[in-house]
Amino acid sequence: MAAADSPSAALRRRDLCSRGIRLAGKMRADVVDLLDAYVEQQGLDASASVAAVEGVPLAAVERWDEQTGTQRLLENLAAYRAFRALLAQMLEEQREQLGEADAGLGRALAAVLLQVSAFAYHLEELLRLESRGIPGEEEDGPPPPPRLSRFEQKLRGLGVLRELAHWAVRSERQLAKPSPASGAAPGLAESP
Amino acid sequence: QRHSQQDSHVQYERVGADVTMKCGSMDWDAAVTWTANGTDIDESHLNGSYLILKNVGLSQSGQYFCYEGSSWHLKYQTNLRVGTPPKEPVLMCRSNNYPKGFYCSWHLPTPTYIPNFFNISVIHGTKDMVCEKDSPPKNRCHIKYLQLFSTVKYKVTLTVTNALGKNFTTLTFDEFAIVKPDPPESVVAKPVPNNPRRLEVSWQNPSSWPDPESFPLKFFLRYRPLILDQWQHVELSDGTSHTITDAYAGKEYIIQVAAKDSDIGTWSDWSVAVHATPWTEEPKHLTTEAQITETTSVSTSSFMAPPTTKICDKGAMVGS
Repeated sequence: MAAADSPSAALRRRDLCSRGIRLAGKMRADVVDLLDAYVEQQGLDASASVAAVEGVPLAAVERWDEQTGTQRLLENLAAYRAFRALLAQMLEEQREQLGEADAGLGRALAAVLLQVSAFAYHLEELLRLESRGIPGEEEDGPPPPPRLSRFEQKLRGLGVLRELAHWAVRSERQLAKPSPASGAAPGLAESP
Repeated sequence: QRHSQQDSHVQYERVGADVTMKCGSMDWDAAVTWTANGTDIDESHLNGSYLILKNVGLSQSGQYFCYEGSSWHLKYQTNLRVGTPPKEPVLMCRSNNYPKGFYCSWHLPTPTYIPNFFNISVIHGTKDMVCEKDSPPKNRCHIKYLQLFSTVKYKVTLTVTNALGKNFTTLTFDEFAIVKPDPPESVVAKPVPNNPRRLEVSWQNPSSWPDPESFPLKFFLRYRPLILDQWQHVELSDGTSHTITDAYAGKEYIIQVAAKDSDIGTWSDWSVAVHATPWTEEPKHLTTEAQITETTSVSTSSFMAPPTTKICDKGAMVGS
Protein backbone atom coordinates (compact mmCIF):
# COMPACT_ATOMS: atom_id res chain seq x y z
CA MET A 1 0.00 0.00 0.00
CA ALA A 2 1.25 3.56 -0.64
CA ALA A 3 2.71 5.70 2.20
CA ALA A 4 0.13 7.87 3.95
CA ASP A 5 -0.44 10.91 1.76
CA SER A 6 1.23 14.18 2.64
CA PRO A 7 -0.77 17.18 1.44
CA SER A 8 2.06 18.17 -0.89
CA ALA A 9 2.15 14.69 -2.42
CA ALA A 10 -1.60 14.81 -2.95
CA LEU A 11 -1.35 18.25 -4.53
CA ARG A 12 1.54 17.07 -6.68
CA ARG A 13 -0.49 14.05 -7.77
CA ARG A 14 -3.53 16.13 -8.58
CA ASP A 15 -1.36 18.51 -10.56
CA LEU A 16 0.28 15.65 -12.44
CA CYS A 17 -3.12 14.09 -13.07
CA SER A 18 -4.71 17.19 -14.49
CA ARG A 19 -1.65 17.87 -16.64
CA GLY A 20 -1.71 14.26 -17.73
CA ILE A 21 -5.36 14.55 -18.72
CA ARG A 22 -4.63 17.63 -20.79
CA LEU A 23 -1.59 15.97 -22.37
CA ALA A 24 -3.66 12.90 -23.26
CA GLY A 25 -6.34 15.15 -24.75
CA LYS A 26 -3.80 17.01 -26.88
CA MET A 27 -2.16 13.73 -27.90
CA ARG A 28 -5.56 12.37 -28.89
CA ALA A 29 -6.27 15.34 -31.15
CA ASP A 30 -2.81 15.14 -32.78
CA VAL A 31 -3.04 11.39 -33.30
CA VAL A 32 -6.46 11.74 -34.95
CA ASP A 33 -5.02 14.36 -37.32
CA LEU A 34 -1.99 12.19 -37.98
CA LEU A 35 -4.23 9.19 -38.61
CA ASP A 36 -6.20 11.10 -41.25
CA ALA A 37 -3.01 12.24 -42.96
CA TYR A 38 -1.48 8.76 -42.71
CA VAL A 39 -4.51 7.05 -44.26
CA GLU A 40 -4.55 9.51 -47.12
CA GLN A 41 -0.80 9.50 -47.77
CA GLN A 42 -0.50 5.74 -47.57
CA GLY A 43 -3.49 5.22 -49.85
CA LEU A 44 -5.36 3.23 -47.24
CA ASP A 45 -9.12 2.86 -46.71
CA ALA A 46 -10.14 4.73 -43.57
CA SER A 47 -12.90 2.21 -42.82
CA ALA A 48 -10.66 -0.83 -43.28
CA SER A 49 -10.76 -3.25 -40.39
CA VAL A 50 -7.28 -4.02 -39.21
CA ALA A 51 -6.81 -7.26 -37.32
CA ALA A 52 -5.00 -6.96 -34.01
CA VAL A 53 -1.35 -6.44 -34.87
CA GLU A 54 1.15 -8.34 -32.79
CA GLY A 55 2.91 -6.13 -30.31
CA VAL A 56 0.39 -3.29 -30.52
CA PRO A 57 -1.27 -2.81 -27.10
CA LEU A 58 -5.07 -2.97 -27.34
CA ALA A 59 -6.94 -0.10 -25.75
CA ALA A 60 -10.04 -2.24 -25.27
CA VAL A 61 -10.60 -3.09 -21.62
CA GLU A 62 -13.39 -4.69 -19.64
CA ARG A 63 -14.61 -3.06 -16.42
CA TRP A 64 -12.34 -0.14 -17.20
CA ASP A 65 -13.21 1.67 -14.01
CA GLU A 66 -12.76 -1.20 -11.58
CA GLN A 67 -8.98 -1.35 -11.87
CA THR A 68 -7.05 0.16 -9.00
CA GLY A 69 -5.13 3.32 -9.61
CA THR A 70 -1.82 1.49 -9.71
CA GLN A 71 -3.10 -1.17 -12.09
CA ARG A 72 -4.19 1.57 -14.46
CA LEU A 73 -0.87 3.35 -14.25
CA LEU A 74 1.10 0.16 -14.86
CA GLU A 75 -1.05 -0.86 -17.83
CA ASN A 76 -0.92 2.63 -19.29
CA LEU A 77 2.85 2.81 -18.86
CA ALA A 78 3.42 -0.55 -20.52
CA ALA A 79 1.24 0.55 -23.44
CA TYR A 80 2.93 3.89 -24.01
CA ARG A 81 6.38 2.31 -23.83
CA ALA A 82 5.26 -0.10 -26.52
CA PHE A 83 3.90 2.77 -28.61
CA ARG A 84 7.17 4.63 -28.20
CA ALA A 85 9.04 1.72 -29.78
CA LEU A 86 6.42 1.19 -32.49
CA LEU A 87 6.34 4.87 -33.47
CA ALA A 88 10.14 5.00 -33.54
CA GLN A 89 10.07 1.99 -35.88
CA MET A 90 7.43 3.67 -38.07
CA LEU A 91 9.50 6.85 -38.20
CA GLU A 92 12.57 4.91 -39.24
CA GLU A 93 10.65 3.06 -41.96
CA GLN A 94 9.12 6.32 -43.07
CA ARG A 95 12.50 7.93 -43.50
CA GLU A 96 13.94 4.93 -45.31
CA GLN A 97 11.26 4.99 -48.01
CA LEU A 98 10.13 8.46 -48.62
CA GLY A 99 12.99 10.76 -47.90
CA GLU A 100 11.85 14.35 -47.99
CA ALA A 101 8.69 13.72 -50.03
CA ASP A 102 6.69 13.03 -46.92
CA ALA A 103 8.56 15.18 -44.50
CA GLY A 104 5.28 16.51 -43.19
CA LEU A 105 4.09 13.06 -42.19
CA GLY A 106 7.49 12.33 -40.68
CA ARG A 107 7.36 15.53 -38.60
CA ALA A 108 3.87 14.72 -37.40
CA LEU A 109 4.98 11.21 -36.47
CA ALA A 110 7.97 12.61 -34.61
CA ALA A 111 5.74 15.09 -32.75
CA VAL A 112 3.40 12.32 -31.62
CA LEU A 113 6.36 10.18 -30.61
CA LEU A 114 7.54 13.05 -28.45
CA GLN A 115 4.15 13.33 -26.77
CA VAL A 116 4.01 9.59 -26.18
CA SER A 117 7.44 9.71 -24.55
CA ALA A 118 6.39 12.67 -22.42
CA PHE A 119 3.23 10.89 -21.36
CA ALA A 120 5.16 7.74 -20.46
CA TYR A 121 7.47 9.84 -18.31
CA HIS A 122 4.39 11.43 -16.74
CA LEU A 123 3.04 8.04 -15.79
CA GLU A 124 6.36 7.09 -14.26
CA GLU A 125 6.18 10.24 -12.15
CA LEU A 126 2.73 9.27 -10.95
CA LEU A 127 3.94 5.80 -10.07
CA ARG A 128 6.84 7.26 -8.11
CA LEU A 129 4.31 9.33 -6.19
CA GLU A 130 2.49 6.12 -5.39
CA SER A 131 5.83 4.92 -3.98
CA ARG A 132 5.66 2.23 -6.58
CA GLY A 133 8.71 0.81 -8.24
CA ILE A 134 8.88 1.70 -11.93
CA PRO A 135 9.02 -1.48 -14.01
CA GLY A 136 12.28 -1.65 -15.93
CA GLU A 137 12.09 -1.07 -19.65
CA GLU A 138 13.30 -4.57 -20.47
CA GLU A 139 10.61 -6.09 -18.28
CA ASP A 140 7.75 -5.07 -20.48
CA GLY A 141 9.37 -3.44 -23.39
CA PRO A 142 7.95 -4.94 -26.62
CA PRO A 143 10.08 -7.33 -28.73
CA PRO A 144 11.47 -5.54 -31.83
CA PRO A 145 8.73 -5.65 -34.54
CA PRO A 146 9.44 -8.26 -37.24
CA ARG A 147 10.54 -7.07 -40.72
CA LEU A 148 7.36 -6.61 -42.74
CA SER A 149 6.50 -5.99 -46.35
CA ARG A 150 5.75 -2.41 -47.32
CA PHE A 151 1.98 -3.00 -47.33
CA GLU A 152 2.15 -4.86 -44.00
CA GLN A 153 4.05 -1.92 -42.56
CA LYS A 154 1.29 0.43 -43.70
CA LEU A 155 -1.41 -1.73 -42.11
CA ARG A 156 0.56 -2.03 -38.91
CA GLY A 157 0.99 1.72 -38.86
CA LEU A 158 -2.76 2.11 -39.24
CA GLY A 159 -3.33 -0.32 -36.38
CA VAL A 160 -0.78 1.46 -34.19
CA LEU A 161 -2.29 4.91 -34.72
CA ARG A 162 -5.84 3.68 -34.23
CA GLU A 163 -5.04 1.96 -30.99
CA LEU A 164 -3.05 4.96 -29.81
CA ALA A 165 -5.99 7.28 -30.54
CA HIS A 166 -8.21 5.05 -28.42
CA TRP A 167 -5.57 4.68 -25.70
CA ALA A 168 -5.39 8.45 -25.39
CA VAL A 169 -9.13 8.59 -24.63
CA ARG A 170 -8.78 5.69 -22.21
CA SER A 171 -5.86 7.31 -20.41
CA GLU A 172 -7.70 10.59 -20.09
CA ARG A 173 -10.69 8.87 -18.57
CA GLN A 174 -8.69 6.60 -16.33
CA LEU A 175 -6.72 9.52 -14.97
CA ALA A 176 -9.97 11.38 -14.32
CA LYS A 177 -11.92 8.52 -12.80
CA PRO A 178 -11.37 7.88 -9.09
CA SER A 179 -10.63 4.22 -8.59
CA PRO A 180 -12.73 2.06 -6.28
CA ALA A 181 -11.95 2.83 -2.61
CA SER A 182 -11.71 -0.72 -1.27
CA GLY A 183 -8.11 -1.80 -0.91
CA ALA A 184 -6.96 0.22 -3.84
CA ALA A 185 -3.95 2.41 -4.00
CA PRO A 186 -4.98 6.04 -3.78
CA GLY A 187 -6.91 6.93 -6.83
CA LEU A 188 -5.37 9.07 -9.49
CA ALA A 189 -7.69 11.97 -9.09
CA GLU A 190 -9.04 11.46 -5.60
CA SER A 191 -8.83 14.26 -3.17
CA PRO A 192 -6.20 13.67 -0.42
CA GLN B 1 -79.78 -18.73 -41.09
CA ARG B 2 -75.94 -19.05 -41.79
CA HIS B 3 -74.18 -22.05 -40.16
CA SER B 4 -70.40 -22.18 -39.56
CA GLN B 5 -68.55 -25.35 -40.43
CA GLN B 6 -65.61 -24.34 -42.48
CA ASP B 7 -61.88 -23.79 -42.51
CA SER B 8 -60.78 -20.21 -41.87
CA HIS B 9 -57.35 -18.53 -41.85
CA VAL B 10 -55.48 -15.34 -42.70
CA GLN B 11 -54.51 -14.87 -46.31
CA TYR B 12 -51.80 -12.34 -47.24
CA GLU B 13 -51.67 -10.92 -50.73
CA ARG B 14 -49.55 -8.21 -52.35
CA VAL B 15 -51.11 -4.99 -53.49
CA GLY B 16 -51.89 -5.38 -57.20
CA ALA B 17 -52.04 -9.16 -57.13
CA ASP B 18 -54.90 -11.19 -58.71
CA VAL B 19 -56.54 -13.40 -56.06
CA THR B 20 -58.69 -16.49 -56.53
CA MET B 21 -60.55 -17.99 -53.60
CA LYS B 22 -62.17 -21.42 -53.64
CA CYS B 23 -65.28 -22.01 -51.53
CA GLY B 24 -63.69 -24.63 -49.33
CA SER B 25 -64.50 -28.11 -50.68
CA MET B 26 -67.38 -26.99 -52.86
CA ASP B 27 -67.32 -27.98 -56.54
CA TRP B 28 -66.66 -25.38 -59.17
CA ASP B 29 -70.23 -25.48 -60.37
CA ALA B 30 -71.87 -25.42 -56.96
CA ALA B 31 -74.27 -22.56 -56.13
CA VAL B 32 -72.68 -20.34 -53.51
CA THR B 33 -72.83 -16.84 -52.03
CA TRP B 34 -69.71 -14.80 -51.18
CA THR B 35 -69.69 -11.89 -48.75
CA ALA B 36 -66.97 -9.39 -47.88
CA ASN B 37 -67.21 -7.73 -44.47
CA GLY B 38 -70.89 -8.69 -44.38
CA THR B 39 -71.80 -7.44 -47.83
CA ASP B 40 -72.78 -9.80 -50.63
CA ILE B 41 -70.32 -9.81 -53.50
CA ASP B 42 -71.62 -9.16 -57.00
CA GLU B 43 -71.86 -12.19 -59.32
CA SER B 44 -69.51 -10.45 -61.77
CA HIS B 45 -66.63 -11.38 -59.42
CA LEU B 46 -67.46 -15.06 -59.54
CA ASN B 47 -66.19 -17.77 -61.86
CA GLY B 48 -68.47 -20.66 -60.97
CA SER B 49 -68.10 -20.91 -57.20
CA TYR B 50 -64.63 -19.28 -57.26
CA LEU B 51 -64.21 -15.69 -56.16
CA ILE B 52 -61.88 -13.72 -58.45
CA LEU B 53 -60.34 -10.46 -57.23
CA LYS B 54 -58.23 -8.63 -59.80
CA ASN B 55 -55.40 -6.18 -58.93
CA VAL B 56 -56.31 -6.14 -55.23
CA GLY B 57 -55.94 -2.91 -53.30
CA LEU B 58 -55.55 -2.16 -49.61
CA SER B 59 -59.25 -1.43 -49.28
CA GLN B 60 -60.05 -5.03 -50.20
CA SER B 61 -58.56 -6.30 -46.98
CA GLY B 62 -61.26 -7.86 -44.80
CA GLN B 63 -63.28 -10.92 -43.80
CA TYR B 64 -64.50 -13.05 -46.73
CA PHE B 65 -67.20 -15.71 -46.24
CA CYS B 66 -68.58 -18.34 -48.65
CA TYR B 67 -71.95 -20.00 -48.01
CA GLU B 68 -73.45 -23.04 -49.72
CA GLY B 69 -76.29 -21.78 -51.91
CA SER B 70 -79.43 -23.35 -50.50
CA SER B 71 -78.53 -24.39 -46.95
CA TRP B 72 -76.49 -21.25 -46.17
CA HIS B 73 -73.86 -23.44 -44.61
CA LEU B 74 -70.65 -21.45 -44.13
CA LYS B 75 -68.14 -23.37 -46.21
CA TYR B 76 -65.17 -21.05 -46.24
CA GLN B 77 -63.92 -18.01 -44.37
CA THR B 78 -60.71 -16.07 -44.71
CA ASN B 79 -59.24 -12.86 -43.40
CA LEU B 80 -57.68 -11.26 -46.48
CA ARG B 81 -54.76 -8.96 -45.62
CA VAL B 82 -53.49 -6.92 -48.57
CA GLY B 83 -50.04 -5.40 -48.09
CA THR B 84 -46.47 -5.12 -49.35
CA PRO B 85 -43.15 -6.82 -48.63
CA PRO B 86 -40.84 -4.75 -46.39
CA LYS B 87 -38.40 -2.28 -47.93
CA GLU B 88 -34.84 -2.00 -46.55
CA PRO B 89 -35.30 -0.81 -42.97
CA VAL B 90 -33.69 2.40 -41.70
CA LEU B 91 -31.39 1.65 -38.76
CA MET B 92 -29.67 4.10 -36.43
CA CYS B 93 -27.38 3.35 -33.49
CA ARG B 94 -26.31 5.91 -30.94
CA SER B 95 -24.74 6.22 -27.51
CA ASN B 96 -26.32 8.97 -25.47
CA ASN B 97 -25.23 7.43 -22.17
CA TYR B 98 -21.58 6.67 -22.90
CA PRO B 99 -19.78 4.71 -21.52
CA LYS B 100 -22.71 2.56 -20.36
CA GLY B 101 -23.86 1.35 -23.75
CA PHE B 102 -25.73 2.29 -26.89
CA TYR B 103 -29.14 1.79 -28.41
CA CYS B 104 -30.31 1.02 -31.92
CA SER B 105 -33.65 2.12 -33.29
CA TRP B 106 -35.25 1.39 -36.63
CA HIS B 107 -38.23 2.01 -38.82
CA LEU B 108 -39.49 1.05 -42.24
CA PRO B 109 -39.35 3.76 -44.88
CA THR B 110 -42.86 2.89 -46.05
CA PRO B 111 -45.71 1.02 -44.31
CA THR B 112 -46.45 -2.57 -45.28
CA TYR B 113 -50.00 -2.69 -43.86
CA ILE B 114 -49.37 -6.16 -42.48
CA PRO B 115 -47.48 -7.34 -39.38
CA ASN B 116 -43.68 -7.18 -39.56
CA PHE B 117 -41.17 -9.04 -37.42
CA PHE B 118 -37.73 -7.59 -36.67
CA ASN B 119 -34.62 -9.46 -35.69
CA ILE B 120 -31.43 -7.65 -34.75
CA SER B 121 -27.94 -9.05 -34.30
CA VAL B 122 -25.03 -7.11 -32.79
CA ILE B 123 -21.52 -8.46 -33.27
CA HIS B 124 -18.37 -6.97 -31.80
CA GLY B 125 -15.38 -8.63 -33.41
CA THR B 126 -16.37 -12.24 -32.98
CA LYS B 127 -18.61 -11.74 -29.98
CA ASP B 128 -22.41 -11.77 -30.22
CA MET B 129 -23.96 -9.13 -27.99
CA VAL B 130 -27.40 -9.09 -26.43
CA CYS B 131 -29.72 -6.32 -27.52
CA GLU B 132 -32.43 -5.81 -24.89
CA LYS B 133 -35.59 -4.88 -26.79
CA ASP B 134 -37.95 -2.18 -25.59
CA SER B 135 -41.56 -3.31 -25.36
CA PRO B 136 -43.50 -2.87 -28.64
CA PRO B 137 -44.36 -0.74 -30.42
CA LYS B 138 -41.00 0.90 -29.77
CA ASN B 139 -38.58 -0.37 -32.42
CA ARG B 140 -35.55 0.00 -30.23
CA CYS B 141 -33.11 -2.13 -28.25
CA HIS B 142 -30.21 -1.47 -25.90
CA ILE B 143 -26.72 -2.93 -25.74
CA LYS B 144 -24.36 -2.74 -22.76
CA TYR B 145 -20.66 -2.22 -23.45
CA LEU B 146 -18.67 -5.22 -22.26
CA GLN B 147 -15.43 -3.61 -23.35
CA LEU B 148 -14.54 0.03 -23.63
CA PHE B 149 -12.13 1.99 -25.81
CA SER B 150 -12.08 -0.83 -28.36
CA THR B 151 -10.92 -0.18 -31.91
CA VAL B 152 -12.80 -3.25 -33.11
CA LYS B 153 -15.89 -2.14 -35.00
CA TYR B 154 -19.46 -3.08 -34.11
CA LYS B 155 -21.61 -4.70 -36.80
CA VAL B 156 -25.39 -4.47 -36.39
CA THR B 157 -27.68 -6.35 -38.78
CA LEU B 158 -31.43 -5.79 -38.74
CA THR B 159 -33.66 -8.23 -40.59
CA VAL B 160 -37.35 -7.55 -41.17
CA THR B 161 -39.76 -10.25 -42.27
CA ASN B 162 -43.45 -10.31 -43.06
CA ALA B 163 -45.74 -12.75 -44.85
CA LEU B 164 -44.89 -11.20 -48.21
CA GLY B 165 -41.12 -10.88 -48.01
CA LYS B 166 -37.93 -10.12 -46.16
CA ASN B 167 -35.27 -7.40 -46.13
CA PHE B 168 -32.29 -6.34 -44.05
CA THR B 169 -29.76 -3.62 -43.43
CA THR B 170 -26.33 -3.57 -41.80
CA LEU B 171 -24.46 -0.86 -39.91
CA THR B 172 -20.76 -1.03 -39.08
CA PHE B 173 -19.32 1.59 -36.79
CA ASP B 174 -16.58 2.48 -34.36
CA GLU B 175 -17.41 2.76 -30.67
CA PHE B 176 -16.52 6.46 -30.51
CA ALA B 177 -18.33 7.45 -33.69
CA ILE B 178 -21.84 6.92 -32.34
CA VAL B 179 -21.39 8.88 -29.12
CA LYS B 180 -23.93 11.69 -29.19
CA PRO B 181 -25.24 13.12 -25.90
CA ASP B 182 -28.78 14.34 -25.40
CA PRO B 183 -29.21 18.14 -25.41
CA PRO B 184 -28.37 20.07 -22.24
CA GLU B 185 -31.29 20.49 -19.84
CA SER B 186 -32.78 23.26 -17.66
CA VAL B 187 -31.44 26.05 -19.83
CA VAL B 188 -32.08 29.41 -18.12
CA ALA B 189 -31.26 32.90 -19.39
CA LYS B 190 -31.53 35.99 -17.18
CA PRO B 191 -30.78 39.68 -17.53
CA VAL B 192 -27.94 41.05 -15.38
CA PRO B 193 -29.18 44.02 -13.31
CA ASN B 194 -27.54 47.32 -14.28
CA ASN B 195 -25.93 45.68 -17.35
CA PRO B 196 -27.94 46.54 -20.47
CA ARG B 197 -25.74 44.39 -22.73
CA ARG B 198 -25.44 41.22 -20.65
CA LEU B 199 -27.41 38.01 -20.33
CA GLU B 200 -26.53 35.20 -17.96
CA VAL B 201 -27.14 31.74 -19.36
CA SER B 202 -26.94 28.51 -17.34
CA TRP B 203 -27.82 24.88 -18.07
CA GLN B 204 -27.30 21.35 -16.83
CA ASN B 205 -25.66 18.24 -18.23
CA PRO B 206 -28.24 15.96 -19.87
CA SER B 207 -29.49 13.64 -17.15
CA SER B 208 -28.91 10.67 -19.45
CA TRP B 209 -25.12 11.31 -19.42
CA PRO B 210 -24.00 9.04 -16.59
CA ASP B 211 -20.46 10.19 -15.68
CA PRO B 212 -19.76 13.80 -16.60
CA GLU B 213 -16.78 13.84 -14.25
CA SER B 214 -14.81 11.19 -16.12
CA PHE B 215 -16.45 11.95 -19.45
CA PRO B 216 -16.70 15.72 -19.38
CA LEU B 217 -18.92 17.47 -21.89
CA LYS B 218 -18.13 20.63 -23.75
CA PHE B 219 -20.85 22.97 -24.91
CA PHE B 220 -21.82 25.18 -27.83
CA LEU B 221 -24.00 28.17 -27.17
CA ARG B 222 -25.82 30.03 -29.92
CA TYR B 223 -27.80 33.22 -29.47
CA ARG B 224 -29.37 35.96 -31.58
CA PRO B 225 -31.81 38.81 -31.16
CA LEU B 226 -35.24 37.85 -32.48
CA ILE B 227 -35.01 40.71 -34.96
CA LEU B 228 -32.00 39.13 -36.71
CA ASP B 229 -31.46 35.76 -38.41
CA GLN B 230 -27.71 35.43 -37.91
CA TRP B 231 -26.69 33.38 -34.89
CA GLN B 232 -23.66 34.14 -32.78
CA HIS B 233 -21.80 31.14 -31.39
CA VAL B 234 -19.45 30.48 -28.52
CA GLU B 235 -17.80 27.15 -27.59
CA LEU B 236 -17.20 26.42 -23.92
CA SER B 237 -14.88 23.61 -22.92
CA ASP B 238 -16.08 23.39 -19.34
CA GLY B 239 -18.61 24.74 -16.94
CA THR B 240 -22.36 24.99 -17.43
CA SER B 241 -22.89 28.73 -17.58
CA HIS B 242 -21.85 31.70 -19.67
CA THR B 243 -22.43 35.44 -19.66
CA ILE B 244 -23.24 37.03 -22.99
CA THR B 245 -21.68 40.49 -22.91
CA ASP B 246 -22.45 41.87 -26.34
CA ALA B 247 -26.23 41.71 -26.41
CA TYR B 248 -28.15 44.53 -28.06
CA ALA B 249 -29.72 46.64 -25.37
CA GLY B 250 -33.42 46.10 -24.95
CA LYS B 251 -33.73 43.43 -27.65
CA GLU B 252 -35.28 40.04 -26.91
CA TYR B 253 -32.86 37.15 -27.46
CA ILE B 254 -33.32 33.48 -28.31
CA ILE B 255 -30.67 31.15 -26.86
CA GLN B 256 -29.87 27.44 -27.33
CA VAL B 257 -27.10 25.10 -26.12
CA ALA B 258 -25.64 21.86 -27.52
CA ALA B 259 -23.29 19.34 -25.90
CA LYS B 260 -20.52 16.98 -26.99
CA ASP B 261 -18.07 14.67 -25.28
CA SER B 262 -14.87 16.60 -24.93
CA ASP B 263 -13.03 14.16 -27.21
CA ILE B 264 -15.20 11.78 -29.12
CA GLY B 265 -18.45 11.52 -31.02
CA THR B 266 -20.72 14.27 -32.34
CA TRP B 267 -22.68 17.23 -31.08
CA SER B 268 -26.08 16.77 -29.49
CA ASP B 269 -29.17 18.36 -30.99
CA TRP B 270 -29.84 21.91 -29.84
CA SER B 271 -31.53 22.34 -26.50
CA VAL B 272 -34.98 23.78 -26.11
CA ALA B 273 -34.79 27.48 -26.98
CA VAL B 274 -35.10 30.04 -24.17
CA HIS B 275 -35.83 33.76 -24.50
CA ALA B 276 -34.53 36.67 -22.48
CA THR B 277 -34.14 40.44 -22.80
CA PRO B 278 -31.20 42.30 -21.27
CA TRP B 279 -31.83 44.61 -18.31
CA THR B 280 -33.10 48.07 -19.23
CA GLU B 281 -33.21 51.20 -17.05
CA GLU B 282 -36.62 52.03 -15.48
CA PRO B 283 -38.01 55.22 -17.06
CA LYS B 284 -37.61 58.19 -14.51
CA HIS B 285 -40.83 59.85 -12.89
CA LEU B 286 -40.83 63.45 -14.38
CA THR B 287 -43.29 66.46 -14.09
CA THR B 288 -46.06 66.39 -16.82
CA GLU B 289 -44.49 68.99 -19.21
CA ALA B 290 -41.06 67.37 -19.01
CA GLN B 291 -42.67 63.99 -19.46
CA ILE B 292 -44.31 64.97 -22.77
CA THR B 293 -41.06 66.26 -24.31
CA GLU B 294 -39.12 63.30 -22.86
CA THR B 295 -41.57 60.68 -24.23
CA THR B 296 -41.51 62.15 -27.78
CA SER B 297 -37.70 62.05 -27.88
CA VAL B 298 -37.51 58.55 -26.22
CA SER B 299 -40.09 57.00 -28.53
CA THR B 300 -38.20 58.04 -31.68
CA SER B 301 -34.83 56.77 -30.37
CA SER B 302 -36.11 53.35 -29.24
CA PHE B 303 -36.89 52.44 -32.88
CA MET B 304 -33.41 53.32 -34.14
CA ALA B 305 -31.97 50.60 -36.42
CA PRO B 306 -29.36 48.34 -34.62
CA PRO B 307 -25.67 49.31 -35.09
CA THR B 308 -24.35 48.59 -38.60
CA THR B 309 -21.24 46.41 -37.55
CA LYS B 310 -21.63 42.83 -38.86
CA ILE B 311 -22.07 40.33 -36.08
CA CYS B 312 -19.20 38.31 -37.28
CA ASP B 313 -16.98 41.39 -37.92
CA LYS B 314 -13.50 40.35 -37.10
CA GLY B 315 -13.24 43.24 -34.71
CA ALA B 316 -16.51 42.41 -32.84
CA MET B 317 -15.79 40.40 -29.70
CA VAL B 318 -17.92 37.25 -29.42
CA GLY B 319 -18.55 36.83 -25.70
CA SER B 320 -15.74 38.18 -23.58
